[in-house]
Amino acid sequence: MNRLLSLLVWGGISALGAAAFGVLALSRGETVNAAWLLTAAVCSYAVGYRFYSRFLAARVFGLDDRRATPAERHNNGRDFVPTNKWVLYGHHFAAIAGAGPLVGPVLAAQFGFLPGTLWLVIGVVLGGAVQDFTILFCSLRRDGKSLGQMAKEEVNPAAGATAMLAVLFIMIILLAVLALIVVNALKASPWGLFTLGCTVPIALLMGWWMKRWRPGKVGEASAAGAVLLLGALVAGGWVAGQPHLAPLFTHSATTLTWMMVAYGFIASVLPVWMLLCPRDYLSTFLKITTILVLAFAILVILPPLKMPALTPFATLGEGPVFAGKLFPFAFITIACGAISGFHSLVASGTTPKMIARESDARLIGYGGMLMESFVGVMAMIAACTLDPGVYFAMNTTPAALAQASQALGQAGFVVTPETMQALAARMGEATLVARSGGAPSLAVGMAQIFASATGALGGGGRTLDALWYHFAIMFEALFILTTIDTGTRVGRFMLQEIVGHVWPRFGETSWYPSVIASSACIVAGWGYFLYQGVVDPLGGINSLWPLFGISNQLLAAVALCVGTTILIKMGRQRFAWVTLAPLAWLVTVTMTAGWQKVFSADPRLGFLAHAASLAGSTSRDAARLIFNDHLNTFVALLFMVVVAVLIVTSVREWWLVLSKRKLAAVHETPYVETGYATGD
Amino acid sequence: MQREIERDAGCAMRDAALPFPTRIARVLRRIIGAPDYAAYLEHCRVAGHTPKLSEEAYVAEFFEAKGKGVRCC
Repeated sequence: MNRLLSLLVWGGISALGAAAFGVLALSRGETVNAAWLLTAAVCSYAVGYRFYSRFLAARVFGLDDRRATPAERHNNGRDFVPTNKWVLYGHHFAAIAGAGPLVGPVLAAQFGFLPGTLWLVIGVVLGGAVQDFTILFCSLRRDGKSLGQMAKEEVNPAAGATAMLAVLFIMIILLAVLALIVVNALKASPWGLFTLGCTVPIALLMGWWMKRWRPGKVGEASAAGAVLLLGALVAGGWVAGQPHLAPLFTHSATTLTWMMVAYGFIASVLPVWMLLCPRDYLSTFLKITTILVLAFAILVILPPLKMPALTPFATLGEGPVFAGKLFPFAFITIACGAISGFHSLVASGTTPKMIARESDARLIGYGGMLMESFVGVMAMIAACTLDPGVYFAMNTTPAALAQASQALGQAGFVVTPETMQALAARMGEATLVARSGGAPSLAVGMAQIFASATGALGGGGRTLDALWYHFAIMFEALFILTTIDTGTRVGRFMLQEIVGHVWPRFGETSWYPSVIASSACIVAGWGYFLYQGVVDPLGGINSLWPLFGISNQLLAAVALCVGTTILIKMGRQRFAWVTLAPLAWLVTVTMTAGWQKVFSADPRLGFLAHAASLAGSTSRDAARLIFNDHLNTFVALLFMVVVAVLIVTSVREWWLVLSKRKLAAVHETPYVETGYATGD
Repeated sequence: MQREIERDAGCAMRDAALPFPTRIARVLRRIIGAPDYAAYLEHCRVAGHTPKLSEEAYVAEFFEAKGKGVRCC
């Protein structure tokens, strides 16, 4: 009876998901409700979790609850702590979810809602969640070792060094891209800058509260911080309306760039408790709350999608948001939410040290990533509820908008200056034209959803648009700054470790000259790319986001290589396809995108073609632009070479093991029976 | 069932004996990665060794370790 019921329930869920996909795929010209998108996603997640993750857990990994986990064996009440799986699920999700799953889908909406949604859903079920689950499992069996350590031990030292370099590269590009999103969101926005600026003294106050006044009282300090933050949000609206105060908080993108660089450096050298920890708590609370509220609001209003399923830019490759065709750029643009290499660092960081039993890894590793994909789907919905004309006007530079005007007009994506002015006034901004980076358009989409939901529930409705808009901007900017704090610091540690091999004193993480020098190097690295993104006409999101996508997917390739190697060494080679399939896809996408970014003949797409187009230019900026193109070429080629080295070394290892030329020795910690289990 | 009870006794379900607000606070602390000195003391008591860290030292060490963690994009 149970079996029959299960068959009926899962058959029903599968049929509902298939029907929702059918509606999304077959609708052409008519408006589609977001409910279909949500249904397709949720049904796919449910089926993927119920069947595929179960297959991975039982057949591929052979999770064994009788085996003591690192948390049980090394339980020290601090970093190794057996933790309830639902609590750890929340902890893991808070660590993996950032700006990526929100911004990527917004940018990829230029191809229409369908390609990005399909990649978010299919990519996560067969790729991203598999990667996270695999690395979590591998680290769990190795006392919570990091990805780099596992690559070194299980593949070879070259792979370990590659993984470390990959992390450093991705960190620099990632921080530049994230900082650029904040800069684009805050330029000429006194309300936004005032609110975000207030988060610094608020965080310092919280740090003093938690460390000096009431040690460890994070809840109290966070509650006070949240109240002050909301006060700053409201005060920001007043400041923006004061003729003598507003100019103090109205700055160009270049000025904001220097502010970001200074902030990143200071945050990296200050003690952790002073700025990083309080900001992290504040942003975690805000992130979880906002995501829950957004999900609720979308369910309440079920908005219609105004963006078509496919836009002409999917095949033309001349999109005004960023250049390039759907393949491979949709899969590079959406990394977090579908598959993100960065997650492998979290899955081999704190999480494996807190798992109480092996079977919990399924919910936390696989299920956590499904939830991040759902956040990506919500971001896609928020972007696609915007009028397409507004979406393109916001995410495009005026020059690119003029170039694409014919294609936009033919597709019916038109917007008048009056419409944009009215929208900007409603959101409390001077202008919303050319606010690229994804954050402002996501904020407008979220503000409209929140306003509609509060209106439907009898609240203020559209009178709160400006407040919701700036709340959304603050929400995004706050956790981007948290990532910049932690990213710069982690990059600093890595640089200190690398240089420490040749100069041991430099490797001392508390030696202040080393702290300052390494922080300066990391900040200079991402600061340069940020500056380039702000001042170059074709820089910014157009060139940096693809580089970020390539580097993130490179890290995912490292993780999947490590996972495949471990599966082969465990004697599970017949199941190696579970990691090999997403690996093959990622390598294809990364290499194709890298090749096109370097060698495409289109100056908007190819770095070398763009440099060549400037060769005869008399502009005084031409030399700098050509240098930047060559630098970006070098970075893209470096990523491609690193992928190639990694694949070759891994394939060699697989061949040696499979041909029995090398002993298949896995570096798992020895089996220890759990002390908790006494039955069966 | 016996196995479930004994296993859960080793992790967060041990908190079931605590008052409800304390349990909620403990869950929230774990989710956001906040220090929990009471849980540390409880761990030491169950493990049968004297706590090595004072509350200030525990909090300082906890925050320092947090600064080395990774937050995703």
